[in-house]
Amino acid sequence: MTLDILAYAAFFLSMALTYAIICLGLNVQWGMTGLFNVGIAAFVAVGAYTSALLTTPPSPDRFGGFELPIFVGWLGAAVTSGLLSWAVGALTIRLRSDYLAIATFGIAVTVQLCMLNLQPLTGGPFGIGFIPRPFADLQDNALAFSLANFAVMAIVVLALYLALEHLAKSPWGRVLRAIREDEMAAQALGKRPIRFRLQAFTLGGAIMGLAGAAQAHFIGFIAPDNYMPILTFQVWAMLIVGGSGNNRGAIAGAILVWGLWALSAAAVSTFVPAEQQARAASLQIVAIGVGLCLMLLWRPRGLFGEVSPLTRLKSLRAAPSKE
Amino acid sequence: MTAPILSTHGLVAGYEPDLPIVRGIDFSVSSGELVVLLGPNGAGKSTFVKAIAGLVPIHAGTMMLNGRDITHVSPHRKVAEGLAFVPQTENVFATMTILENLQIAVAHLPKAKRGAAIEALFSRFPDLAARPSRLAGALSGGQRQMLAVARALALDPPVIILDEPSAGLSPKIVSEVFDMLKAINAGGVTVLLVEQNVKAALAIASRAVILAEGRIAHEGLPEELASDPLVGKIYLGTAHGHQGAPA
Amino acid sequence: MNPQFIMDGLIAGAIIGLGAVGVTLTYSILRFSNFAHGELLSWGAYLALAVAGALGFLSAGLTKPIAPFSFGWALPISAVIAIGLTGLLALAVDALLFSSFRRRGSAIIIMVMASFGASLALRSLLEFLFTSKPAYFTKALQIAMKLGGGLRATPDQLLMLGVALVAVVTVHLLMTRTDIGRAMRAVSENPALASIAGIDVRRVIRTVWFLGAALACVAGIMSGLLIQIRPYLGHDLLLPLFAAAILGGIGSVPGAMLAGLIIGLCEALAVQAVGAEWRAAVSFVILIAVLLVRPRGLFGKAS
Ligand SMILES: Nc1ncnc2c1ncn2[C@@H]1O[C@H](COP(=O)(O)OP(=O)(O)OP(=O)(O)O)[C@@H](O)[C@H]1O
Ligand SMILES: [Mg+2]
Repeated sequence: MTLDILAYAAFFLSMALTYAIICLGLNVQWGMTGLFNVGIAAFVAVGAYTSALLTTPPSPDRFGGFELPIFVGWLGAAVTSGLLSWAVGALTIRLRSDYLAIATFGIAVTVQLCMLNLQPLTGGPFGIGFIPRPFADLQDNALAFSLANFAVMAIVVLALYLALEHLAKSPWGRVLRAIREDEMAAQALGKRPIRFRLQAFTLGGAIMGLAGAAQAHFIGFIAPDNYMPILTFQVWAMLIVGGSGNNRGAIAGAILVWGLWALSAAAVSTFVPAEQQARAASLQIVAIGVGLCLMLLWRPRGLFGEVSPLTRLKSLRAAPSKE
Repeated sequence: MTAPILSTHGLVAGYEPDLPIVRGIDFSVSSGELVVLLGPNGAGKSTFVKAIAGLVPIHAGTMMLNGRDITHVSPHRKVAEGLAFVPQTENVFATMTILENLQIAVAHLPKAKRGAAIEALFSRFPDLAARPSRLAGALSGGQRQMLAVARALALDPPVIILDEPSAGLSPKIVSEVFDMLKAINAGGVTVLLVEQNVKAALAIASRAVILAEGRIAHEGLPEELASDPLVGKIYLGTAHGHQGAPA
Repeated sequence: MNPQFIMDGLIAGAIIGLGAVGVTLTYSILRFSNFAHGELLSWGAYLALAVAGALGFLSAGLTKPIAPFSFGWALPISAVIAIGLTGLLALAVDALLFSSFRRRGSAIIIMVMASFGASLALRSLLEFLFTSKPAYFTKALQIAMKLGGGLRATPDQLLMLGVALVAVVTVHLLMTRTDIGRAMRAVSENPALASIAGIDVRRVIRTVWFLGAALACVAGIMSGLLIQIRPYLGHDLLLPLFAAAILGGIGSVPGAMLAGLIIGLCEALAVQAVGAEWRAAVSFVILIAVLLVRPRGLFGKAS
């Protein structure tokens, strides 16, 4: 019994950690750079599908199945999602700040369409199954399997966390912060803000793609339904709760919000009669939406946040004319 | 001397909460005066008058107009109470025509009186009347300044504040602008004028105030200031009380 | 190629155009892209549905179709009431949410984010109240009339095109000929200058919310009458709305309407040429093309 609980806890935490990876990616884009991405689901999906195509066994009814090792899939995922982010960013970062938001929203819609309709590539509405899972040979022993997977996720999150912390303190991170605080001054020092922003957006997108791959291999199958706009909302809620600009907060926020989400979903399915469950689920989403707004109103720094990019972002506002 | 029509008491104001630019100014203008506000670049002159107009957050202090406390009155209500303001830059609606700019300015009048009010402005500023459908953004610097002043006068204000109306204009136009201000003041309007053009401003002023680092540094009659070499050197950037540096 | 796509495109385009006029107005004055605008369309449609249902309950005569249309007096009456209610909804959201950010001088992107949360809450609330099952204003079927040139349209469709035209012309005249219209353009160019020109900026902001919501409600009712009512009605139109507002040039009312029609026609064409499943990608392609070639849109001011 306790072993079961332990296995479940490991499973739950692994899932939460995959969200933590997405959240870290978003933190590079939003927390460090102030770029608003409304298409998180798309970048995660592209990563998941890329890795699935690279690592699954060949399949007659769709393209690919290259049976490559899992880590090649992960790498491929990060590269494709990074490229996609780069393309979106290159197009919109030089424009008004919310055009990027609109463009990423468009990407999310379009990637959703592609997943559904590019049957020969994506398997259509049913998605792709038989995605190889790490430590598959341990599968008979639920506990060992869960713990091994958890260990992998934990290592990935830890490595990313350390790398991002290091990056924030590196010259690159300092330039990014300088740009955010005073774009004009940074420009005067010969730093090209657009280039640094684009690099940050690309890096963030690549991390999201990596998260998508990690998640896909953890679950073993993927379908368009996993990448609905609600995923984007969840990740935003995680980052806002954790406090943007703060990598530890991003991880904590992911675990906390995922926990609340899973708990409330479990409560809905146990206590609400079957015919009312869809309605209860929509109420759950209302709560996320309202919660997001309340956090923005009352605790813009997040529950754990010490550093708030929001105050700094003020300088990005349509600058009042200086006389 | 008549009672002050506009006054500030210990006014502290600035763009960010913890960064006062105007640092405690006690200041008043009496009805009918033409007061000129001088000071080096960055002294906080624009910030001070913008704070009076309600465009910059006020941190402390009060201000009165006509005996009423207007410290926390919103800008458009101040206009209704008789305070007109011509900002230093971006003082016309560039994407709208001359006529539309004036229509906005006379919108507070009853519909029947608006036509006549616009006609009156056009006869006062014949340059603007020539092509009322031109976009304000396409006007020359001088014409723009005219339009901005016309817009403010359309409100028929007892008090008008102008922030460097002569900036960037050719000497000929500058003297036209100053003649106009003198005429406006002679017509009974109280004028508060921020200027870098020290000599010309002192020539028409009834009183002068010098601002430095967000405080009043000196106050007096124009002729006193003009002849005080120390004041000229320290605050006006000139050793002889001549024309100050262009903006 | 079947010329009927022109009719389909015009109808879709009119709906998109009306919504985009609202987006362009709120964007130019509130200065952020409101991701909750789509929800105003959905709420408009559902509010009209609820009021029409109540009216029909009070008097069955109100549901008797007015020939040649498929709906009774209950719909136009409820439409007027729903327009008011949708406007109030927008004002309430502004008072509860966006006005605080404006007061604090928050970054644009914070408001975009808040609108994103509001959109999620509003849409799911509709799903909770009305479930995700499609609903209809009327069950009556209409025969399409032949218009010549191979075009067919139902009386409802023609009426709605007329309504859209009247709405856009009215808004355009409002913007160019009236005090409040000039005040809106003034605030959109320079809010600080507008306030010292005697314009009550907060009143202008309220007017814009109301106007945008009213147009959204009309678009939602059109979409509900001619297609169906779903909680995702507005959300699915959001990308076309943004694309149209940007293609038309932010702040331009005629631009938004024209761009809406262009996008509607392109969508209809794509449905015929490529297949209905790709419809939603059309506005994305157009959006990208505009951002690449002419980010200020057809009638936008250079920034
Ligand atoms: N919109 C703004 N936001 C933040 N700080 C500002 C803004 N406008 C001006 N400042 C700062 O306020 C200080 C005073 O500026 P202000 O424009 O009031 O000076 P001024 O006396 O009008 O100078 P000038 O003669 O050059 O017009 C300056 O340090 C300036 O940097
Ligand atoms: Mg100044």
